[in-house]
Amino acid sequence: MQELEKILNNVSLDKSASLISAIDKADQLKEGFDVTLKIGVLRNYTIEGIEPYLKYHLYKSGIKAEVHFGNYDMILQEVMDPESHFSKNKPDLIILSLKLESFLPDYETGNWNFHDVRGQLSELLIQVMNNVSGPLVINNFISPFYSMNGIIGDVAENSNQRRIQRLNSFIEDFAAKNSSQVMLANWERIIRKLGEELSIDYRFWYSSKSPFKKDFLNEYAKVVANIGKILAGKVKKCLVLDCDNTLWGGIIGEDGMDGIKLDNHEFPGKVYYDFQKSILLLAERGILITLCSKNNEEDVMDVLENHPHSLIKRKHLAAWRVNWKNKAENIISLSEDLNLGLDSFVFVDDSEIECDLVKKMVPEVDVLQVPKKIYLLPSLLMTHGQLDTLTETNEDRQRTILYQTDAKRKEASKSFATIDEYLYSLDLHAKIHLVEDQEVARVAQLTQKTNQFNLTTKRYTEQDIQQFGKLTDNAVLSLTVQDRFGSSGLTGVLIAKKENSTGYIDSLLLSCRVLGRKLEYAFVDYCLKYLEGQWSIAKWMAEYMPTKKNAQVANFWSEMGFQIVEQQEKKSIYFLDGSPQQIIDTTFIKINE
Amino acid sequence: MEEKVKEIMSLIFNVDIEDITEDSSPDNLENWDSLRHMNFVNALEEEFDIELTDEQVTEMMNFKLVLAVLKEISPSSA
Repeated sequence: MQELEKILNNVSLDKSASLISAIDKADQLKEGFDVTLKIGVLRNYTIEGIEPYLKYHLYKSGIKAEVHFGNYDMILQEVMDPESHFSKNKPDLIILSLKLESFLPDYETGNWNFHDVRGQLSELLIQVMNNVSGPLVINNFISPFYSMNGIIGDVAENSNQRRIQRLNSFIEDFAAKNSSQVMLANWERIIRKLGEELSIDYRFWYSSKSPFKKDFLNEYAKVVANIGKILAGKVKKCLVLDCDNTLWGGIIGEDGMDGIKLDNHEFPGKVYYDFQKSILLLAERGILITLCSKNNEEDVMDVLENHPHSLIKRKHLAAWRVNWKNKAENIISLSEDLNLGLDSFVFVDDSEIECDLVKKMVPEVDVLQVPKKIYLLPSLLMTHGQLDTLTETNEDRQRTILYQTDAKRKEASKSFATIDEYLYSLDLHAKIHLVEDQEVARVAQLTQKTNQFNLTTKRYTEQDIQQFGKLTDNAVLSLTVQDRFGSSGLTGVLIAKKENSTGYIDSLLLSCRVLGRKLEYAFVDYCLKYLEGQWSIAKWMAEYMPTKKNAQVANFWSEMGFQIVEQQEKKSIYFLDGSPQQIIDTTFIKINE
Repeated sequence: MEEKVKEIMSLIFNVDIEDITEDSSPDNLENWDSLRHMNFVNALEEEFDIELTDEQVTEMMNFKLVLAVLKEISPSSA
């Protein structure tokens, strides 16, 4: 086992000493992390206590978190001064943590004007948003635990309770309107979950301006860490579901269609019905649904297609393994089929034995066991946190169909003698152009999610992509692919920068769904020629930055005719004098026709 | 109890148990700052299932004083 994992396994979050000590040790480690995430915290109260919790949750996903706190209550100074420690540190993720009591000293007396305060808050949020260059996590406020004005005063138009609710609506609207950069850590929800007793430390609030107890800090840290994980590309993309006692109660092979529990009204059938509902919600957001069940395939498909209460149908599945083989092998085979890394899978099963087997054989897979208290099943996936994205795109909503078309392509490829014959038969059409407004979300998402065919693995937000699009010496080009089976959607991105007469390729990535069709060669060739025309460029520089996952593109620039200039541990630098020479035949791909 | 407190101090302040004396305090332990003091208070409360008052929190500024406070709260475990 890795050192980092060993250290973190010793932590019990109920024991502060075990956490603090483990984080001290993990801080010293150089190995075991895939990526670094710099978090900058702007705040108007003491929130340093969150650091070990933030680090704990990020370290657990192999993300080296560096947390830097801006000076106490100096939010605008920190963001507006380019020389401030905060600005110089260039955080990848910014937390703006505001406590109303610090923002508004007259809060408790109720002697404040709602419109003034909303105005000040709006000004602050806008200034911070415009002066930081990364994603920003804000929070709403905690409404009072008791009425300052008695029973009657509590419901008055201008009670603290009602005014804070209105401020919160304003904050939520702000996050919704600026969703390409701003995310909400919902303090009200955390408070509702934990309650005052477990959340607020009045003793340390009055003595040290440190209001939160460890349970609150932990929940707050989890929200931020989940956002950090998505930014760092640590997302889950595919569910692998067992069937018996997971999608329905009972065993189809024994209890039969009439005997299994799946129902919109009765317990326990309603639990499974609601669980299926939650799965469909994830499917709509682009999570792939697969089955892995020890059963006869026809029995399972019969339930999906013909059971009156089965919400999940065959059409929702990207793939399935319904057989009597070992589940670990089945998951590996699903991962090969869908071309997704094992660490993007979440496996759900009721059997402890199956869960243990998968944990042991394929430790990369996230394993969730169906709770013994079965009524907790419907929230299992909704509270997971990593089955999420920061943007929602058309590609997400169509993803299952896209994967199903891929399966048809694979089937078709078997009837050709050579790969080239097959590629010619596909009638491939590629659309390549500068990124358009409606594509920005998808482009950002691809930079966040693509791990395998990704030369530099730089993660960008929508805001970053928009920014690149505006600058004349930057270019973001997108690739959209279609063939005789259908569209694969926007599946490739190239980001380039120009300095004098040199072009730098900042990022190049392709979704794993379109690999194996030589599109990458045609895409890069077209982009470079296009940009040369626009920018009058004499030479190109490109990089390959190795990660655990992108070994398949280690030689890509050489294949494109680039010369290696420098090979370091963390990156290899390549050089191309003049235009790319098409070395690999891609004449079967029609570009922008 | 003394041993348990030493163990907690060693974990929170990142020092060897052998180096903790009755005079160990924020003055001679590099990591014993105001933030870690709060962690230390939390850890003691978790371990001994107690709640320290604000006075006790400000009073316990070296190992000897920590023990004195804890003994005052639960003389039986001393």
